[in-house]
Amino acid sequence: MDGSLPLWRYILGRLLQAVPLLVGILVVNFLLIALAPGDPVTVLLGEYPAPPEYVARLRDEFGLDRPVYVRLGRYIANVLQGNLGFSFAYQVPVVRLVLERLGNTLLLMGTSMTLAALAGLLLGVVSARRPHSPLDSGAMALSLVGYSIPEFWLGQLLVLLFAVALGWLPAQGIRSTRQEYVGLAAALDVGRHLILPAMALSFRYIALIARITRAAMLEVMHQDFIVAARARGVDERRVLWRHGLRNAAIPVATVIGYNYAFILAGSALVETVFGWPGVGRLLFDAILQRDTPVLLGVLLLVSVTVVLVNLVTDVLYAYLDPRVRY
Amino acid sequence: MKTIRCITAALFLSVLLVASGAPAQQPGGTIIMALGADPETLNPGITTGYAVGAITANIFSGLIRLGPRGEVLPQLATAWQVAPDARTYTFTLRRGVRWHDGRPFSAADVKFSLEEIAGKFHGRFRIAYANVESVTTPNASTVVIRMKTPFAPFLKMLDTFNAPIMARHLFAGEDIARSPRNLQPVGTGPFVFQSWARGDRVVLVRNPNYWEPVYPDRLIFRIIPNAAQRSTALETGEVDVVTDFYLSKTDVPRLRQNKNLRLRFGQPIPALDFMFINTRRSPLASAKVRQALAFAINRDQIVLQAMAGIARPAKGPFGDGFKFAYTPETDYTRLYPYSPERALKLLEEAGVARGSLRLSMVFDAARAPLAAAAQIIRDNLRQVGITVDLVPLERSVMIDRVYVKADYDLTVQSFTSNTDPAIGYHRIYLTAPSGQPFVNATGYSNPEVDRLLALAAQTSVVEERAKIYAQVNAILARDLPTLILFDEVGVDAARAHLRNLWQGLDARDAWWLVWGAK
Repeated sequence: MDGSLPLWRYILGRLLQAVPLLVGILVVNFLLIALAPGDPVTVLLGEYPAPPEYVARLRDEFGLDRPVYVRLGRYIANVLQGNLGFSFAYQVPVVRLVLERLGNTLLLMGTSMTLAALAGLLLGVVSARRPHSPLDSGAMALSLVGYSIPEFWLGQLLVLLFAVALGWLPAQGIRSTRQEYVGLAAALDVGRHLILPAMALSFRYIALIARITRAAMLEVMHQDFIVAARARGVDERRVLWRHGLRNAAIPVATVIGYNYAFILAGSALVETVFGWPGVGRLLFDAILQRDTPVLLGVLLLVSVTVVLVNLVTDVLYAYLDPRVRY
Repeated sequence: MKTIRCITAALFLSVLLVASGAPAQQPGGTIIMALGADPETLNPGITTGYAVGAITANIFSGLIRLGPRGEVLPQLATAWQVAPDARTYTFTLRRGVRWHDGRPFSAADVKFSLEEIAGKFHGRFRIAYANVESVTTPNASTVVIRMKTPFAPFLKMLDTFNAPIMARHLFAGEDIARSPRNLQPVGTGPFVFQSWARGDRVVLVRNPNYWEPVYPDRLIFRIIPNAAQRSTALETGEVDVVTDFYLSKTDVPRLRQNKNLRLRFGQPIPALDFMFINTRRSPLASAKVRQALAFAINRDQIVLQAMAGIARPAKGPFGDGFKFAYTPETDYTRLYPYSPERALKLLEEAGVARGSLRLSMVFDAARAPLAAAAQIIRDNLRQVGITVDLVPLERSVMIDRVYVKADYDLTVQSFTSNTDPAIGYHRIYLTAPSGQPFVNATGYSNPEVDRLLALAAQTSVVEERAKIYAQVNAILARDLPTLILFDEVGVDAARAHLRNLWQGLDARDAWWLVWGAK
C-alpha cells in the first residue's frame, strides 16, 4: 500500500469528481431537449383544437413560455433539492413514476446479467479448453450470431417460437392478467414472464462474455503459474476453474461494468417489445410523449447509476487483482 | 292444431339452439383489452385521447349512447324530445341512478358536466357546445338544452365519448383540468374503477347497481406498446380484444386465418387519409397544378401497397363513410382516374416546365401506412417529372411544421370525424387562421364553401344536407385543396369465445353486454 491512497479516499475522490460531471450531463440533456423542435403541449392535447386559454395555462405551468436559461436554472435548483418535477403527461411526480418502475428493471437486468455471466463464462472456458475444436468453433459462431442480432428482433423471434408456436411461455407483460396469484405462486408467475425478456436481453452479453473469457483464458493458460500448477500435479479441473478462471474473470467483470449503459439501453428496447413495465419503457414513452421532466429524470438516473457502476467496477477490479491499487 | 304447431316450432327452435351450440347468456369472467399506451388521465371530459375513452366509456355514462348502426339509445336519459326547429332538447333522466360512491345522480350533474367540463375542455364537444344557449334543470330528473343555432349532430354528441356526465359533488370548485380527481374516476357506468398500474394494466370490476345486466366480472386493459406484440397477445389468448386503432393492418391476413379469433371489417366510424396541398405556395396555388397531382397519383396502388388492400380508394372530399356527404356525380375515381398523361398536359398548361418542380412531403414518421403512402406518391410524381423530398418527422415536430408554421408543400394526414362530418372534417376546409393544430392546413379559403358547410352543420334533414354537400363537393372537386387518398376500412379483432360483441357504434363501447368471457 506504500505511496498509494487508501481505498475509501479513492472512492470519495471519485464521487466528488462525479458531481460536476453529473451537472454537466444535466445541462446538456436539458438543452438538447429544450432546443429540439416540436412542442410538448401539442402532443398532449390530441387531434382537436383545445381552448387557447387552456393551452396558455399548460405552457405557463410547464414553464415553456420562459427563456431556456431561466428554465434550466430552476430545473437544476430543483434537482439539487431532490425534486425531479412533475410529469407533463401523467400529472404525478417524476420520482414516483421512476420508483414504480425501477424494481422491474432491476429484476430484468439483474436476471439477464447473471444469466449472461454464468453462460458466457461457461461457454468461454469450454471453448478455451480445446481451442479450434468443433465445440470451440461452434460456440464462437453462436456468439458471433448473438453479438450481431438486435435485441428487439430476437425478442420477436423468441415470442413467435415459445409463446405463439409452442405456447409454453407468455408473450408479454410481467404478471398474468386473468388469474391473480399470491405468495410463491405470484413469484413463479413473474418468473415465467421473465424468461423470454431475460433471454432476449442476455443473449448479446452471453456472446460478448464468452468471447472475452475465451481470449483471457487462452492467455492465462499459457502463463508460468499455470505451468507450475500443472507441474505440481494439480488436478486439471482445478487448474482451469481456480487458477485460470480467477485471473481471466477480471476483464469479464469490467465488460459487464462498462457495458452497463448499453445494457440499460437494450433493456429499453426489450421492455418495449415485451410490455415489461420498467424504466426503459418509461423512457421510450416519455420520448414519444415529449414528457420532458420524465425524460430528464430517467436520463439523470441512468447517468448516476453509470457513474456508480463504473466506480464499483473499478473497486471490484482492485479486489480481484491485488496488484491494482490507485 | 295450433298448439301442436307451437310445440313443433318450440322443439325445432331448441334443436336449432343446441345444434348451433349457442351458449346461454353466461355472466362472469374477465375481458382483457389491449391498449397501446397508458391513458393520460381518467377524466374523459377533458380529452379526446383514445385510451382514455376506451377505459372510461365503461365507467361513465352519457345522456345517450349510440347503437351499432349509430342509432340513438337511452343511457342516463330514458327519453328525449327535440323541438321541430331543432333548438330545444328536453331530456328525462333515469331515476334511482347512483354514483359509484353511493351519492344520487341528478340533473345538476348533467348541467355541471356540459357547462363546466365537456363544454369547456373536450376537443370535440366544444364544437357542439358553441351552439348552445343554455342548459336548465326544471327538476331533478329533467334537463332542457336550448340552442343559439341548430347543430345537426348535437344529439349524437351527448354520448360518453363526447359529453360524459361527471359527478358535480366531486368536481365543483375544483381546478378541473388539473384536479387529482381526474385519476380517481367515480362514474355511474357498468364498471367501477379498481386499480391502475402504469405501464401494465387498468382494472375495472362490475358495478352491481347498474340498471342493465353487466355480464363480465372484470374488464382489464393491458398496456402493450408494441403493435406486433398486441397481435401475438391476441393469438396466445393473453388479451381478448384489439380494436382497430391499435391493430396493425399488416397482421390482419395472419389473424384472419386464426379460428380462435373473430375479425370485424369496416367498423362504422369513418376515417380518411388525405394528402394536403399547401395552397399558399406557388405553383401549388394554381388549381390546375393541384388537379395534375390528382391525375398523377395512383390511389389504387396506395390502397394495395400501403394498406394491404384493406381500404377503399376515396371518392370525394368527405370520403364515402357518411352517405349523405358523398356525391356520385363528383366521384374522384371518375373525375381523376390515374393518368400521368393528363397530369403532364395540365402541368404544361399551368406553365410548369417538366423537371422544374421540387416539393417537400412532410409526414409523421411513426405512422407506417402514411410513410408508405408518401413513398408511393414520390414514385408516382417522379413519373411526371416532379421531384419529391420525403421529410419524416417526429409527431410534435410534424404538427409544428404543418399546422403551426405551414412550412411544407405536401403532407399526408389521417382524420376521423366521430359521428358526423361537421365534427372532424369541416375544419379541414373551413377558412381558419393558421397556427392551430389539426385545422385547415392547406390555407384554402372560399367564402362559398364556408357558407355551405355552416349550413350543412345546421341542417338535420338528411336529404337537404345531401344537396348542400353536393354543392360543396362540386367546388372542392375543382379546387382540390386536398387530395383524398383512401377511406380506411377499420378492423377490430376479438377472441371467438366472446358473444354479443360490438353492440356500440364505437368499438370501445358496450363491453358490459358481452358474455362468454373466461
